Amino acid sequence: MIRLDNVTKTYDGGVVAVKDAALEINKGEFVFLVGPSGSGKSTLIRLMMREERPTAGDIWVAGKHASVLANWKVPHLRRSIGTVFQDFKLLPNKTVYENVAFALEVTGRPRAVIKSQVPQVLKLVGLSANADRYPRQLSGGEQQRVSIARAFVNRPLILLADEPTGNLDPATSVGIMRILDRINRTGTTVVMATHDHAIVDAMRRRVVQLERGRIVRDQMGGLYDRRGAGVPVDQPMRTQGDIEVPIADPSEITAEIPAISRPIATRPERVDIDPETIEMNAIDPARSELAAAELTDVEDAR
Amino acid sequence: MSFQYVFMEAFNNIRRNGLVVLGAILAVFISLQLMFGTLIFGEIARINTVRWEEDVRVIAFLRDEFRDVDALRDEVASWDAVAEVIIFSKADAQEEALEMLANHSSARRLIEERPGILPASIRVRPVDLEQYDPIVQRLQSSPGVSNIITAGPQIAALTALRDGLRVVFSILSVALGIAAVALIANTIQMAIYARREEIEIMRLVGASNWYVRIPFVIEGMIEGLFGGALAIGVAIGVYRIALQRLTTLPEFITIDIGPEFLTRWSIITLVFGVLVGILGSSLSLAVHRYLKT
Repeated sequence: MIRLDNVTKTYDGGVVAVKDAALEINKGEFVFLVGPSGSGKSTLIRLMMREERPTAGDIWVAGKHASVLANWKVPHLRRSIGTVFQDFKLLPNKTVYENVAFALEVTGRPRAVIKSQVPQVLKLVGLSANADRYPRQLSGGEQQRVSIARAFVNRPLILLADEPTGNLDPATSVGIMRILDRINRTGTTVVMATHDHAIVDAMRRRVVQLERGRIVRDQMGGLYDRRGAGVPVDQPMRTQGDIEVPIADPSEITAEIPAISRPIATRPERVDIDPETIEMNAIDPARSELAAAELTDVEDAR
Repeated sequence: MSFQYVFMEAFNNIRRNGLVVLGAILAVFISLQLMFGTLIFGEIARINTVRWEEDVRVIAFLRDEFRDVDALRDEVASWDAVAEVIIFSKADAQEEALEMLANHSSARRLIEERPGILPASIRVRPVDLEQYDPIVQRLQSSPGVSNIITAGPQIAALTALRDGLRVVFSILSVALGIAAVALIANTIQMAIYARREEIEIMRLVGASNWYVRIPFVIEGMIEGLFGGALAIGVAIGVYRIALQRLTTLPEFITIDIGPEFLTRWSIITLVFGVLVGILGSSLSLAVHRYLKT
């Protein structure tokens, strides 16, 4: 689904943001990009969404050779990628419904599709009741859920999230992670750059660690900290009602969020990407139905 | 992408930056106003020049003792270069002079006191303005002719005025045209800046480049169109008023250029305004960083 071959990104002035990165992410994987600020996580996300071109190396995303893709073809690549950011990037003068519908409108979807898809995806993120509100009337967590709804309404093959919980408190972050996990379970590949130790340690997914632009660790079922299974660097938190409480035993977190827990997978074999065989259609009706069937209202689930 | 969408977006942009848009429209207006004004004046000059060419006369004053006027007229009329010859008698000359000297009473008195002081003449309308000098030369050799004057300098003066104004107006038109393009580019730049978040999101979710750009191009076109329409409206309005008010013009000058010319050039001016708008917005879109992939 995503493959980076010896990718280097050097900015003007000689700053090396990513150095010789090789990475392969398969369909349906959930990958955390971790590392300190300036380690190259965001650059990697920007390279994957073809916001930047690499200085050297090749990038394949959703079957497209993104590193050499002509500018005019970028919009088509973006339609198979959903993006979520720390600052939500919502339009303040549009309602929740309009913000989500916007992603379909500007890609020329018929009104009938918009009318059926938007309520469905709002239900998925638990915001059906807030459809007519404006972003300023929502909490940070709710705004981020709108942004996820907008990213997912196109039923993308890949969801790229750059610090999606960076502005949120731990309790709210858990809600966001639940939604991302549900989206991942529909078969959507999720790549998430994060600083959030608790989340990474709780979810135990593939962890790709960056330091000074280099990939220094790629571990299935990893923890945030490189010391590996066992001891998280920071004390993780969980919520009871509206209160956050520290958790002594990290394994308790997975018990707290049953929807997210999943057996630790073994690292998949490296497979060369053949652009001809990779799934190209981001809005495959069959997938869409699958997603609709599988995704249930978060609020219903509670 | 629907027409409704692009026009709604364009009009929203115009509403948001009202003053700057007004500036751009005024620049287009002034520029095209000068262009259209030059065209109208040029046409008036042309029509009047044509009139002079048609009626241009070589005036050959005859000696008082010369009697064979009819023979001279027939001879001159037979020349290839001559279209028409009119005999202007001493009485005709006096009448014309009295009219010309209406504000000079002493000169009038002199003429009235001494009838016959002004010579008779023959007035020649050449077939073509180019064939004008040979007629003068041949007339000079005629024994009955004392003196010859031509209408040439008047035509030259009118043509010179027209050409001079054309140069000045053309330079001003081009300079203001460039200003109009720059001002439209500026309004589009502001519109892009105002909508940068929206553009960023559009690009994130995969809106095509044209989907993002077309509303801005339409905005530029609308501004150019408004400027052009204003220029045409004002120019035609002023022209109509002039047509009504300027009733005391000398009879040999006409300012009526007819509706065909105005219609044709109004359409061309409007198209020009739209092109100025497209050029301005395209310039802006080409350089704007929010729209670069």
